[in-house]
Amino acid sequence: MTYELNVAHLYGNLMNTYGDVGNILALNYYAKQMDVHLNVKVVSLEEDFQAADYDLAFFGGGQDFEQTIVSQDIQTKKAELTKFIESGGPVLAICGGFQLLGHYYIGANGEKLPGIGALDHYTLAQDHNRFIGDIVIKNQETGETYHGFENHQGLTYLGADERPLGNVVSGKGNNGEDGTEGAIYKNVYCSYFHGPILTRNGDIAKHLLIAALKRKFPEADFSQQEALPIPATF
Amino acid sequence: MSLRSGFATFAGKSSYWFLHTFLHGGSSLPGKITLKLDPNILRTLGAKYDVIVITGTNGKTLTTALTVSVLNQKYPTILTNPTGSNMEQGIVTTFLNAKSPKTGRPLAVLEVDEANVIKVTQYIEPKAFVFTNIFRDQMDRYGEIYTTYQKILDGVALAPNATIIANGDSPIFHSKELPNPIEYYGFDDQPDQDMKAKPNTDGVLCPVCEHILHYHSLTYSNQGKYFCPNCGFERPELTYRLTKLGDQTPTSSEFEVDGHAFKIGVGGTYNIYNALAAYAVGRFMGVAPTQIARAFNGNQQVFGRQEVIDVDGKQVTIILVKNPVGLDQVLHMIGTDKEKFSLVGLLNANYADGIDTSWIWDGDFEQLTKRDIPAVITGGERYKDITFRLKVAGIPDDKHIVEPDLEKVVAEIKQVPTERVYVLATYTAMLQMRKILATKGYIKEGLGV
Repeated sequence: MTYELNVAHLYGNLMNTYGDVGNILALNYYAKQMDVHLNVKVVSLEEDFQAADYDLAFFGGGQDFEQTIVSQDIQTKKAELTKFIESGGPVLAICGGFQLLGHYYIGANGEKLPGIGALDHYTLAQDHNRFIGDIVIKNQETGETYHGFENHQGLTYLGADERPLGNVVSGKGNNGEDGTEGAIYKNVYCSYFHGPILTRNGDIAKHLLIAALKRKFPEADFSQQEALPIPATF
Repeated sequence: MSLRSGFATFAGKSSYWFLHTFLHGGSSLPGKITLKLDPNILRTLGAKYDVIVITGTNGKTLTTALTVSVLNQKYPTILTNPTGSNMEQGIVTTFLNAKSPKTGRPLAVLEVDEANVIKVTQYIEPKAFVFTNIFRDQMDRYGEIYTTYQKILDGVALAPNATIIANGDSPIFHSKELPNPIEYYGFDDQPDQDMKAKPNTDGVLCPVCEHILHYHSLTYSNQGKYFCPNCGFERPELTYRLTKLGDQTPTSSEFEVDGHAFKIGVGGTYNIYNALAAYAVGRFMGVAPTQIARAFNGNQQVFGRQEVIDVDGKQVTIILVKNPVGLDQVLHMIGTDKEKFSLVGLLNANYADGIDTSWIWDGDFEQLTKRDIPAVITGGERYKDITFRLKVAGIPDDKHIVEPDLEKVVAEIKQVPTERVYVLATYTAMLQMRKILATKGYIKEGLGV
């Protein structure tokens, strides 16, 4: 392979519900087709995160208990993660990962648990209800349609400098009210989609990889990679 | 028996007779009728029995069957519930169908759904509980492992004197202080090392200090000789130890427990855990190791041995898959086959299958590419999901047939270059497949498992 990218799988041993690891597998699948080798490393409680060491980060969803632990530990990685995001580092954050990049979320017992506030959203909780089911959204800028399966109790409200990943065509989305689903900020893509998201929406995998490549190799020509067709898988 | 219980029992029994005789059915409706008439019926029905409750995510059915077979070596009459009748109504029906015990206290060995343990212990104080394991199961229906364990414990709290016989390799079963006497079984056949579970494993946090658990040895998922390097929390002393693991094939496993050699006619490490649980209950109830060996050898039917269906010369084995840990274990088990085989993956997402297909990504299909599999067929209502899963796992297009229609899948199976074919199917896909095979005359009935 001509290119190498270092991928941080944030809390991969704790935040790994609903097949979210499939995003790493799909990322790898498309990376190979783009002549890119991925070095994936789990960055969890025992590991340090340095912004300069990584080219891409993936942060999946977790169970309530594990997410509580991660909410504490991630504060030690807050400065470097924020630096990575602000400098255009591509990130995919799903469900609990999405929530923890924002200001806070409400835990299973009603307690307010901190995120890192790198993105300007916050998350409340529904009473005894979850949004569970198939969901379809449309990205207004690219015109792309995304398919997923949502399963969340959290109600997320986006901040002023975030835009949604897409507008809800069918399903509930971030909060069931404002028709938004997920978030985009700089090169950070957030969503509640399982499925997992990149296995059904290869276009997002491609956006992430291209962003990482252009950032790491600013002089290189990636027109071939950008021309890679992504056949429908769903 | 009170008049009310008596009437309720009569109503339930007659409805069973009616359903069984005229409709060839009747596994939970009689229980439902009886419960309507007398909600406390289990107290009356269960009072005469020493009850052993078997619960957990995977392995309940086989552990129950094996336990019955082991205990039969010493106890001639044992009441047990048929597969799938592990909720309150099914359990009531099981007691209703039992012939009244003439003398002594007979045993009842019951497979009980995790959330239904409390519905049994409200009325009956069991002699023992068996905890097989708790894994992530179709989470759109069941929730997290900690919630599931708490549901079991809510039931156990009503029976503080019952002995718990638990899988000692599963950290969650050592995470709460309980008043009950506890005996643990587990694997103790490897020299000590220092390792961690695979990243995509559930339940790897130390329940005491919330650091990542390490392991001296691992069997699968988060099970093994765990320890916490931070606080010293570790696997409890085992009462029953698997001391040696011998030859494993998809249809047989050899192993030693406490130095006694056993062989069972079924493959898969998960089934060895089931046998180990049955051994532990047997020992707890005073059955000798030689008698247990006889039970394991004796009745092969007990293992629910994977049925091999002859489809015009192809030896087809259909295996139900429903959650990531079970799927991984099945993939590992068929990987022990010394012959070449073809693989079929059938995915549906109806309610009984779990409506979220994401879990197939937690299964380690990548291990298949270590073997040369001449043909892979993917199908079912959600064929696109399973097709892309296997494509990503590295199955090359020239060996991969995509066929959503199960009728045509059967035709494709007849064309594969191997004699042996494993069909991994979700619940409703399996039923559909069996129906087609029955219609074509390859099997007698469509619905058996």
